Amino acid sequence: MSPTTHRAGADRSTTDRAETETDRPTPHRTGAEHLTDHRAGAAVHSPTTRQAGATANTVRARAAWPEPGDTGAPAMPAGFIASTFPALVATVADRCLRRGYGEPGGPAAGGGERRTAVVLVSERGDQGTLDAVAAAVDGGRRMQPLLFFQSVPNAVLGWVAARWELVGPVVCVSPGGDPAAEGLELADLLIEDGDADDVLLLLADQAAGDGRPDRATAFLITRPS
Amino acid sequence: MADPAPGLEPVITGLSALSACGRGAEVLYERAAAGEPAFGPVTRFDVSRFRAGAAAQLPGNPVLADELAAVTEEACAAARLSAGQRADSRLLLAGHTDPAAARLPAADRARRTPAADARTLAERCGLRAGHRAYTTACVAGSTAVADAAAAIRTGSAERVVVAAGYLVDEEHFALFDAGRALAPDGRVRPFSAGRQGMVLGDGVAAVVLESAAAARRRGAPVLARLAGWGRAGDAHHVSQPHPQGTGLARAVRNALHRAGRRPEDIGYVNAHGTGTAASDAAETVGLRAALGDRAVLVPVSSSKSVHGHTLESSGLLELVVTVGTLRAGRLPVNAGYLGADERCGLNLVTAGPHRAAPRYALSLNAAFGGANTALLVGAA
Repeated sequence: MSPTTHRAGADRSTTDRAETETDRPTPHRTGAEHLTDHRAGAAVHSPTTRQAGATANTVRARAAWPEPGDTGAPAMPAGFIASTFPALVATVADRCLRRGYGEPGGPAAGGGERRTAVVLVSERGDQGTLDAVAAAVDGGRRMQPLLFFQSVPNAVLGWVAARWELVGPVVCVSPGGDPAAEGLELADLLIEDGDADDVLLLLADQAAGDGRPDRATAFLITRPS
Repeated sequence: MADPAPGLEPVITGLSALSACGRGAEVLYERAAAGEPAFGPVTRFDVSRFRAGAAAQLPGNPVLADELAAVTEEACAAARLSAGQRADSRLLLAGHTDPAAARLPAADRARRTPAADARTLAERCGLRAGHRAYTTACVAGSTAVADAAAAIRTGSAERVVVAAGYLVDEEHFALFDAGRALAPDGRVRPFSAGRQGMVLGDGVAAVVLESAAAARRRGAPVLARLAGWGRAGDAHHVSQPHPQGTGLARAVRNALHRAGRRPEDIGYVNAHGTGTAASDAAETVGLRAALGDRAVLVPVSSSKSVHGHTLESSGLLELVVTVGTLRAGRLPVNAGYLGADERCGLNLVTAGPHRAAPRYALSLNAAFGGANTALLVGAA
């Protein structure tokens, strides 16, 4: 599969979807058609019994990096070093959650816990940390201890979950198919299966050494009330 | 959450494993039931500059892609899958990016993503209905199992092969050593006084999951049932578990609820039990919160005390151990035990052979980022 991070449609997400909005698309059309090429549409039409009669989950908020007005690099969350990946993921997650939930520490709807899953879909994962680890090993140098704590993609998701008190599942995948379509499938499955009411879906990959910037997109998907 | 049709209950029809205990699931069960640890000095790379020096390793330098193919092949053969049935099955692979990818030019790294490795494995084993890789660290394998089970239960897949692999490598050893996570005494002592931390281990496993109806239709052997599963987060810290084990407790409750079972129905717990001070204590609190009075009665052990922490494959390898426990009627021993820790007051299996015939067993895993999973396995 192509190593490109996101499809051309991702650009559209930055121009007209910067504000919080609620969509009511048909099942699996939760923003996928705006992100990806027509392959995402194939996911909608795949004949699974799960889709038959399924009530649509909705996109409560979305965000991207970069968006118009973004300059420089996304801010690194405290405790992370050496790689732009944690900054990319944390920034787009925070941006999306602010649009969907308000402020960190704010009350959840109904006063209960936020059973929000955090799902990261990344084809290549944190290449920056991988490089830093390899450099330390190959150079016979002391490994910086902070690299241990960020050596798996869960770490930055834990940062997001702690900040926003999200108690749903934490999932990281490298997708076999179209990242957005697969992420939406995972989100729908988590909600349908019952471990989550909402899903923060993060699609992120660092630039593949082709001169383009790191890119990420986030969706806050919610079970219909 | 609607009750599933009985035919949609996920069942396990084939499995295989490779660990430092040797090749195959049988030798893994034997060593776990006997409480015989497989730890020894690391021979695969130079550890002279590290604090720690032990691991649970197979001899030599096995190649992960080849071992994954062999184990997956064995599991599919054990499940008596035809070529056509394999072609209709999807593959979920738990693993991490091969560190060798970091030494490739950027343009070539697309060939060595975890998803690319999953595609390669799927092609080698004739699994053609799709593939995905799970990279959620120490819950990657168990998360893949939960997703497979959910897909089967909701009717979106009839059969899913889940595979997972980790072989002790210098990069992860250096990372864990730098984080002071490895036990200098070279032993995993879950829930024990004097526990010093983790020991890494080789682990490769594969499991065939399918709907009960599909297994019946083709007369497949049912080794165990996946009665319930739960996934939840601690929402606490980048790497430390919540001290009250809140995410673990929630995952256990979700698994029990999904299965329509109560704590009293659980006959054995295969704990996450990494042998670190904080994690074992948090897990104890979480178990007490989820199981109530049953928490101090149900036999508990962490088979990591025998095969080590196998990272991304741990959830799947430990599921294999748990299935073996139900079938063989002998509980894994919590090896390396030195004495009671007041923060870990559980009913530990400290000596074998411990014969029991649990109808349900719980397999628990946790990871950085507060990720927690609970798999409730039912006897066939």
